[in-house]
Amino acid sequence: MNRLCDSMEPRVMDDDMLKLAVGEQGPQEEAGQLAKQEGILFKDVLSLQLDFRNILRIDNLWQFENLRKLQLDNNIIEKIEGLENLTHLVWLDLSFNNIETIEGLDTLVNLEDLSLFNNRISKIDSLDALVKLQVLSLGNNQIDNMMNIVYLRRFKCLRTLSLSGNPISEAEDYKMFICAYLPDLVYLDFRRIDDHTKELAEAKHQYSIDELKHQENLMQVRLQDERARQEELEKHKTAFVEHLNGSFLFDSMYAEDSEGNKLSYLPGVSELLEAYKDKFVIICVNIFEYGLKQQEKRKIELDTFSECVHEAIQENQEQGKRKIAQFEEKHLSSLSAIREESELPNIEKMILECSADVSELFNELMMLEMQLVEQLEETINMFERNIVDMVGLFIENVQSLMAQCRDLENHHHEKLLEISISTLEKIVKGDLDEDLPDDLRALFVDKDTIVNAVGASHDIHLLKIDNREDELVTRINSWCTRLVDKIHKDEIMRNRKRVKEINQYIDHMQSELDNLEYSDILD
Amino acid sequence: MEVLREKVEEEEEAEREEAAERAEWARTEKMMRPVEVRKEETTLTQEMLRDLEKKLSEIQIPISAELPAFTKDTIDISKLPVSYKTNTPKEEHLLQVADNFSRQYSHLCPDRVPLFLHPLNECEVPKFVSTTLRPTLMPYPELYNWDSCAQFVSDFLTMVPLPDPLKPTVQKEEKVLPKKYTVRPPRDLCSRFEQEQEVKKQQEIRAQEKKQLREEEERLMEAEKAKPDALHGLRVHSWVLVLSGKREVPENFFIDAFTGHSYSTQDERFLGIESLWNHKNYWINMQDCWNCCKDLIFDLGDPVRWEYMLLGTDKSQLSLTEEDDSGINDEDDVENLGKEDEDKSFDMPHSWVEQIEISPEAFETRCPNGKKVIQYKRAKLEKWAPYLNSNGLVSRLTTYKDLECTNILEIKEWYQNREDMLELKHINKTTDLKIDYFKPGHPHALRVHSYKSMQPEMDRVIEFYETARVDGLIKREETASTMTEYYQGRPDFLSYRHANFRPRVKKLALSSAESNPRPIVKITEQFFRNPEKPAEEDVAERVFLLAEERIQLRYHCRDDHITASKREFLRRTEVDSKGNRIIMTPDMCISFEVEPMEHTKKLLYQYEAMMHLKREEKLSRHQVWESELEVLEILKLREEEEAAHTLTISIYDTKRNEKSKEYREAMERVMHEEHLRQVETQLDYLAPFLAQLPPGEKLTRWQAVRLKDECLSDFKQRLINKANLIQARFEKETQELQKKQQWYQENQVTLTPEDEDLYLSYCSQAMFRIRILEQRLNRHKELAPLKYLALEEKLYKDPRLGELQKIFA
Repeated sequence: MNRLCDSMEPRVMDDDMLKLAVGEQGPQEEAGQLAKQEGILFKDVLSLQLDFRNILRIDNLWQFENLRKLQLDNNIIEKIEGLENLTHLVWLDLSFNNIETIEGLDTLVNLEDLSLFNNRISKIDSLDALVKLQVLSLGNNQIDNMMNIVYLRRFKCLRTLSLSGNPISEAEDYKMFICAYLPDLVYLDFRRIDDHTKELAEAKHQYSIDELKHQENLMQVRLQDERARQEELEKHKTAFVEHLNGSFLFDSMYAEDSEGNKLSYLPGVSELLEAYKDKFVIICVNIFEYGLKQQEKRKIELDTFSECVHEAIQENQEQGKRKIAQFEEKHLSSLSAIREESELPNIEKMILECSADVSELFNELMMLEMQLVEQLEETINMFERNIVDMVGLFIENVQSLMAQCRDLENHHHEKLLEISISTLEKIVKGDLDEDLPDDLRALFVDKDTIVNAVGASHDIHLLKIDNREDELVTRINSWCTRLVDKIHKDEIMRNRKRVKEINQYIDHMQSELDNLEYSDILD
Repeated sequence: MEVLREKVEEEEEAEREEAAERAEWARTEKMMRPVEVRKEETTLTQEMLRDLEKKLSEIQIPISAELPAFTKDTIDISKLPVSYKTNTPKEEHLLQVADNFSRQYSHLCPDRVPLFLHPLNECEVPKFVSTTLRPTLMPYPELYNWDSCAQFVSDFLTMVPLPDPLKPTVQKEEKVLPKKYTVRPPRDLCSRFEQEQEVKKQQEIRAQEKKQLREEEERLMEAEKAKPDALHGLRVHSWVLVLSGKREVPENFFIDAFTGHSYSTQDERFLGIESLWNHKNYWINMQDCWNCCKDLIFDLGDPVRWEYMLLGTDKSQLSLTEEDDSGINDEDDVENLGKEDEDKSFDMPHSWVEQIEISPEAFETRCPNGKKVIQYKRAKLEKWAPYLNSNGLVSRLTTYKDLECTNILEIKEWYQNREDMLELKHINKTTDLKIDYFKPGHPHALRVHSYKSMQPEMDRVIEFYETARVDGLIKREETASTMTEYYQGRPDFLSYRHANFRPRVKKLALSSAESNPRPIVKITEQFFRNPEKPAEEDVAERVFLLAEERIQLRYHCRDDHITASKREFLRRTEVDSKGNRIIMTPDMCISFEVEPMEHTKKLLYQYEAMMHLKREEKLSRHQVWESELEVLEILKLREEEEAAHTLTISIYDTKRNEKSKEYREAMERVMHEEHLRQVETQLDYLAPFLAQLPPGEKLTRWQAVRLKDECLSDFKQRLINKANLIQARFEKETQELQKKQQWYQENQVTLTPEDEDLYLSYCSQAMFRIRILEQRLNRHKELAPLKYLALEEKLYKDPRLGELQKIFA
């Protein structure tokens, strides 16, 4: 390709080239003069055309943050790169280049129109991020596998596709295949697909497509399930009680406990373990349900709070707006009065009055704001107290439930110890009937060993419980602190913004007045 | 509620009678017609109708004697059925019974007014009141319920006061009715001092107003008091009583026939009841009416309270209350009082009145001649039937300032079926403001048009059905120098446009008014919030000050802000010191931004914004201009519509819809012709021959062949006969002509010129006849074989001669 260009030197996309292009393609005539006068920032450019420039490497485009349309056709580009920052890109033309693989498009989520016509691409992939893709031009490439079409099924918006000039377009089934596998397609190779062809194609490839659809559906269902599970877990996490609605904690207690597992083969221990597990799980579920309930309560509390705060702010803003509207009405009339007044002393007097009005407005607005700040502060403090109390209560109750778990564990530990010692005694006496696994038998050497083993198991269990409890307490506390911090911070931000806004407005008014004064004096 | 379906019937009768009786109504002293709530709806209504009729007929009696002016010629008595002119023996008997009853009554109660029992009808025949009622069911749903039915009857009736002042007139009661100046209900007093004060103040004002009102009222009353209520309590009237029970009527109530309004039996304007009747019986009120009708108990089965005239008619139906039994028991006692001679089982004879028939036209017309005028105090209401007025006017309410009805305050005219969808025209005579209200469907989607003059550029408000308009215009207000438009639901979120005009510059008479629009001084446009744009880019208001070349923008206020951005462009094109045109300078755009942004500071941005606004300004000016044009167009159209006032006719209105009528008639004609043709084609040649054979049997082949042969030979014979007939006539004509010619030749010399003329004309006629006969003969000869063949062919195909086909098959 581009044999003509081969004879020329490849050019680099440098600042000058870009500036030139921007200048040429920017506004013309009067606006162009202005633009020249001021200079155009790259980030303000919406569309850029860089064709027939012998570009080898895409570079220096990172400043064009807001670019919507980029034409890089008829160059000698070999690799798609340097486009990562152009996230607003809607139209990308890379036709007539020397690209071999599709890559580097993963951030262009807004892309709707992509042309890779006349390149050296042999495989369609790496387009997953382009969910809005509508037009895809891949003609005159080296795509030779029909299965590339199946990949395009994921683009739900794809309506126009061109693939002519590829090895696959030679296949006699080419058109039918595409029509069948991409039923939403409207234009193929610049021609409209008529309904008749669609029907035919559908009939022809019905079996394979049905299978494909079935698989896709399965995948879809699996994805949905996964997502639902994830959401559920997320919900539990916000309540800080995830994985407590079953035997997860119990299982994790035994997961790393090799001694405990060995000991479970002792006679009578499995029943004991069973009963223990049941009781343990019941407590866990209690914690879980309690956690969800508390979460609900906290949510309601928070919602009520934000609603009230919002209302208060809204109300206050309304008052402010009214004040400003009143002021503006008066101000306008007095301004026009000043303009019409010809006596200088009178003008001065009126201007003074006006500025008095402005400062009066300032005072009023600031007073309103101060009022609101005080009101909100009170409310926020109240909310803070309440939420902290709620969290404290929650922690307390969870801790008491956890203590129950620990009691159960202690109880179990005692029982186990008892059984172990009696078993040891039996072994020592030699009248043990059952066979014990070898590794378990190895523990029954002497009393210390067995007591240590049981103790180690117990310790692990207690540690797990403690960890879970700590995790819960830490997380909820940090959530609470963050929430309260955020509320305070938001309020401070709001206050500052409002004060700034008021000041800005007042300054503007004042400067307007001053301008008037000067111009009058000048006159 | 109960329905008076059959009223309609009565109406017609009423109409007739009315004409006759026009002079008077009420001879009855506070009579009640008891309307029974009967088993079925029909009965009720009928009764009411009858009641009406009764009234009418009753009224006649006294009048006819007293009023010679009363013209009967409006009713053609000769066409009335016999039942109107004579009494059956049973009716005679009833009249005797009634007389007897009346005698006893006047004997027992000498103080009371004589009973209204058997007035003369339009044929001067005494008829018992109950027999004037005939329950009838009418096919109009409007007549099924009492309220619409009563409305219909009241529309139909015209009030004519009794000329005899001695006889109490009905009118009096109506005068008592209007009580306009009811005191406004006093406000609840709140405990707060200030409010109390306020209320007190208001009360004072109100007291003053009240006083004024009262004074005025008194003054007005004085005017009316010229005819004082000397006859209070003596006037008579007839009205309808509906008893509770049947058809979900919860309680008894009265209906006044003239107004069609219902009144509670507690209403104090009904002073008492003398007697009541329905189509079954006649009752006299024995209860004291000192407290108007408030204490009356309408248990007609109670003979102590209600003296009945006929025994044995189903009083249980009358008294629908549980006291039925007691009523029946008491009955005997009453009878013993003095009606021994009455036949216990005497039934009310059948009504002598013809069934009322109301044609759909008459029903639609409602009032006699389709027009009715009701005069109220300081107001006049006129009603017309739909389509009666060519401009669709159906009613007009005129209110007056004064009692004499000379000074018009305002006029309201209601229209129906107008093609321009005009519904109501409201003319205020004091302010001269006219308001037209339209129904949906006007070509310009007009809703309301209020104006003082039809001249353009005057004060005017036009409201539109905004959903029917592409531009979503709701309202356009105009004054001499401004035009304001309100919009809703536009894709560009425009909500308001206000244009100020300067008086038109007087140009030389070269340009006409149309091409010389008034110069626009200022255009203000306001926009709703466009949720898709950020607030600081969403314009809330833009003002084009065209004279000053200035454009002001005000943006929407962000949700969490209290101030809004503003921007002002000065469009002065200036030239700098070197003579170059200055494209854009920073002082051409003064902006206040709530949150200053970088890109808006750029001259390029400002320049582009200004260019955009310039284009918009042009568009807005164009819009204003188009709006003005539209107003002109609307005014023109309105004038045309007013002049043409075409009425729409429903395609279901078979009588009025000329087009559909023509079409229908054409269809009918076509159908008829088609039918005739079919009859012809179906002319059955075989019938006379088939009749000879036993019916219902299948023809054998032999029979079929014979039948066919017979038929054909018969036809052949007929053809021959016909040919012979024509031949015979031809010969006869020829012979006669020859004779005549002979005669002529013989007497040629002696003939007068007249005779010769006669002969010649005869000859030419005879020659003509001969020629025609010759032609017919020739044609017959030609056609006869063809006809014969055609018949043969037809016979082969006749299914009844199927056997034949088999042979040939």
